[in-house]
Amino acid sequence: MMPLSLRFASRELRGGVRGFRIFLACLALGVAAIAAAGSTAEAFRRGLASQASEILGGDLALSIRQRQFDPAERAALEAAGRVSYSVASMAMAEAPSGERRLIELRGVSDGYPLAGKVTLQGGGALQDAIAPVAGVAGAVVEQPLLDRLHLKVGDQFLAGNLPLVVRGVLMDEPDRLSRGFALGPRVIANIGAVEKGGFLAPGLPFGETARVALRPGAPLEAAKAHLRTELGGIVRIRDREDAAPGIHRLIDQLEYFLGFIGLASLVAGGLGVFGAVSAYLEARKPVIATLKALGAEGQLVRDIYLIQIGLLAVLGVAIGLTIGAAAPLVLGAIVKNSLPIPALFAVYPGPLLKAAGFGLLSAAAFSLAPLGRARSTPPASLFRSDLSGTLTIGPEIVSAVLAAAGLAAMAVATAPTKLAAVIMIVGVAVSFGLLWLLGWGAAWVAGKARGRARGPLRIGLANLAGPHSAARTASPAIGLGVALLGAVVLIQSALLNQVAEVAPRTAPALVFTDIPADRTVQFDAAVARAFGQPLTQKNYLREPFVTGRITRVRGEPVVAERIARQDRWAYDSDISMSAIGPKPEDPGILDGRWWSADYAGPPLVALDVDVAKGKDVKVGDEITLSVLGRDIDARVAVLRKVDFGGFGASFPLVVTPSAVEGANLRQVAIAKASRKQEAAVIHELGRDFPTVNVISVREQLEAATDLFDRLALAIRGAAAVAALAGLLVLAGAIAARARARTREAATLKVLGASRVQILSAYVLEYGAVGLIAGAAGVALGYAAAWPVVVKVFHAKWSMDWAGVAALLAAASLVAGVGGLLAAFQALSKRPAPALRAE
Amino acid sequence: MTEAAADPLVLEDVALTLPSAAGPVEILRGLNVQVASGERVALVGPSGSGKSSLIAVAAGLERPTGGRVLLFGQDLAGVDEDGRARLRRGRVSLVFQSFHLLPNMTAEENVAAPLEIARTPGATETAKAWLDRVGLSARGRHYPHQLSGGEQQRVALARALASRPALLFADEPTGNLDAANATHVAELMFDLVAETGAALVLVTHDESLARRADRTVRLRDGRVAQESSTAA
Repeated sequence: MMPLSLRFASRELRGGVRGFRIFLACLALGVAAIAAAGSTAEAFRRGLASQASEILGGDLALSIRQRQFDPAERAALEAAGRVSYSVASMAMAEAPSGERRLIELRGVSDGYPLAGKVTLQGGGALQDAIAPVAGVAGAVVEQPLLDRLHLKVGDQFLAGNLPLVVRGVLMDEPDRLSRGFALGPRVIANIGAVEKGGFLAPGLPFGETARVALRPGAPLEAAKAHLRTELGGIVRIRDREDAAPGIHRLIDQLEYFLGFIGLASLVAGGLGVFGAVSAYLEARKPVIATLKALGAEGQLVRDIYLIQIGLLAVLGVAIGLTIGAAAPLVLGAIVKNSLPIPALFAVYPGPLLKAAGFGLLSAAAFSLAPLGRARSTPPASLFRSDLSGTLTIGPEIVSAVLAAAGLAAMAVATAPTKLAAVIMIVGVAVSFGLLWLLGWGAAWVAGKARGRARGPLRIGLANLAGPHSAARTASPAIGLGVALLGAVVLIQSALLNQVAEVAPRTAPALVFTDIPADRTVQFDAAVARAFGQPLTQKNYLREPFVTGRITRVRGEPVVAERIARQDRWAYDSDISMSAIGPKPEDPGILDGRWWSADYAGPPLVALDVDVAKGKDVKVGDEITLSVLGRDIDARVAVLRKVDFGGFGASFPLVVTPSAVEGANLRQVAIAKASRKQEAAVIHELGRDFPTVNVISVREQLEAATDLFDRLALAIRGAAAVAALAGLLVLAGAIAARARARTREAATLKVLGASRVQILSAYVLEYGAVGLIAGAAGVALGYAAAWPVVVKVFHAKWSMDWAGVAALLAAASLVAGVGGLLAAFQALSKRPAPALRAE
Repeated sequence: MTEAAADPLVLEDVALTLPSAAGPVEILRGLNVQVASGERVALVGPSGSGKSSLIAVAAGLERPTGGRVLLFGQDLAGVDEDGRARLRRGRVSLVFQSFHLLPNMTAEENVAAPLEIARTPGATETAKAWLDRVGLSARGRHYPHQLSGGEQQRVALARALASRPALLFADEPTGNLDAANATHVAELMFDLVAETGAALVLVTHDESLARRADRTVRLRDGRVAQESSTAA
């Protein structure tokens, strides 16, 4: 037989779930956001996994820099399976018209690609397209290059000094994702042609990658370990299981960010859950008291309502899961062909389970406490309607606290970066607490101020101060939504300002690479000629450039795996370095002293603090650098903070010139230039320095600005979900008081109040709630955004006043409109029936 | 005194003071009332004299701020709310002026509810039988909002008496009914109380109804102003 509590609960539910619409919406919204974020991320992960070999271009990819694989290494590679080789370098492309721009030039061997397919516009095979015709090598290029240089298929152009014919438009390469960001349009030619073009000379910044398709059945890990032994540690090896680690990290972070917004909506919506359960139990007070008068114990009554709330929570979570599972399917079907990452959209139970867990824990955290009232509601409330259950420390409160702790623990456990998750959760909890206190404070102040007010203002203040004040119920939820939205808006606008306004002022406009060391004087002259002005330290800086790796610290070999993941970048791959004698302007020295300009003693090194952090390197420590195939033992003389976005010697590692004496280092230069000077110098260098690459920082910044703009809408849209939760709570607060408002409006009308006065009172009340919540939300958003911009992104803080004003206005306006709707609803009823219902 | 032989209700010097925004309000001031088994006592008095509060205190729904309440010989002072709920089960029932039927339960379920709470076997059958007794066997599947006021109060009576309590509190049971329904409900209540042998504590403004009780206790300002035997 059905337990008594279940039987009574099912009877109680016959009344329908009308009063629980906000409860269901609050839960469903947060769960849907988390489920959608998780499902989308899983779709991308599965998509990447399903095409792992295509993304890597084989089962294994082995990369080296500044040289090609030697015959012994090739033999070892080819013993493992089928191999294709590719080289990559930057080059300047030049059209017959003289128009030039930077490209990413790849040379590929005959076997390329081993996995997947190169897609050319209009079809065709890559190897056919890049084969030489009439002595000129073929190339396939991306459309932006054709647009920029005004070329078409069949036209000839130069890559550095290498003549190439455009034989096709490159749409997609199978291994593009695993190679990451490109500084210019991609061009693919035959590896032999690229070699002939002089791009693979020793010391030039190129790299070669061998992709291996293992023999069928060959174990991946064993083959990887074998090749690591055969080829040595200098080779970077990736396998198909880790084809695009950067993309995986990005997906993880994006999932967490979007999931976090869902979680924040659950917390903001939690007030809606709390409010709905409290309002429901308040409405059921006569039933609860009657049950007790009939002999029911508190626990039985509590269980009757616990079962109801539990069932409704399951319903809310189920609605959220349905939306969260369906949304990526629908969205995926619409945008599948334009996605940059392969995705397999389907219903994945894992992310849905996680979202369900979050939803149920949040429902428990926010509804168990008010459920305690069901247990404690005295039966005497049948005689005295003012009596209500009191919240005392009991099993319900303890369970609610445990559920909240479980929610936080689950959020941390599922986060890719635990510390960041803890900071974010503590931030949300503290913000929520502050907003809650502010709501109570605002109600108290309204209570004190109403004595001095008259008319509609007095009515509005009295309602704000009253026991059902929206300042206490809705303003924390709205404030949290505004805080999240505010943080996102402020971070985005500050970063956008950095990219669009600050960086163009402080960063160089142009970077020149591969300047021949023996023609630096002529090069400087060519730049000065093109600029039409003399070069000074303020607008032009040229330094030697080489890449190298730190192999030993304090005599100990560097083991990258033992270094914290976020600091490993400086030790597991080559980093850029220079050899500079005189102390640069604004070197950012934190410790130690720069050497004298003519220093010729044992090698010294100036190290960026972020590089030093990974191995806790201090001034005076000995480190060993592997540069151009030789080891240099150097003592750390300087620790400095390099301003990578500024105009200066922005090298993470600088050695004394004597350390690399004899090496004919290529040079790099940076320059500040107007748009006109930029065009002139790119054109000018084409004649005398065709192999010097010119990177337009302005172009990269514009591309970044464009990317920011495109992302901004999506991320703000996601953050708006949390604001929507705040609105739901406001709607819940309005709905819960609708009946009382009708009676209040009827009484006010009887007392002679005009409609305008009643409308004004309600708009004032809710507008004030919006304004208070908005202002507090913006302040909290600022507190969250500032450290992210300044400490995490190292960008200059700028305040988006327009965004702040818009948020404040929107919060007050939306809340005010809510008040207006509440007033219209109340005024739409005739006073007499409303008062009779009393 | 053993419980079996004890009077169903004894109030000794009972006081009830409630807090209010304007300061404490004395509702009951040293009341002494005793109700014997099967006795029918009417409580009358003006509004605010403490009649309903007396029922709330006597039924264990409210704790007095002074004095003792003995239900079937047991002092309620040391019994917590759940204990008092258990004590009421099957022995104490209440009928209210505004019926207080459970709105989402049918008439039959309402009558069965206290029996189910007390885990009494055959609750549904007993409920059906009692609905028949109050002339509502055809309305068993109707919800309270589908019943007239008089019908609702008859369901409430059936619910109160289905467990055959030894003590029935009725707080203005006819106060919300028209004259015809009031007479019908009153007749039914006195008949069924007589039949079950339950003691009755009846709060009413209606002197004619009060006269049907064995004894009338008049309250004024929270005190017993007068007691008189009314039974013929």
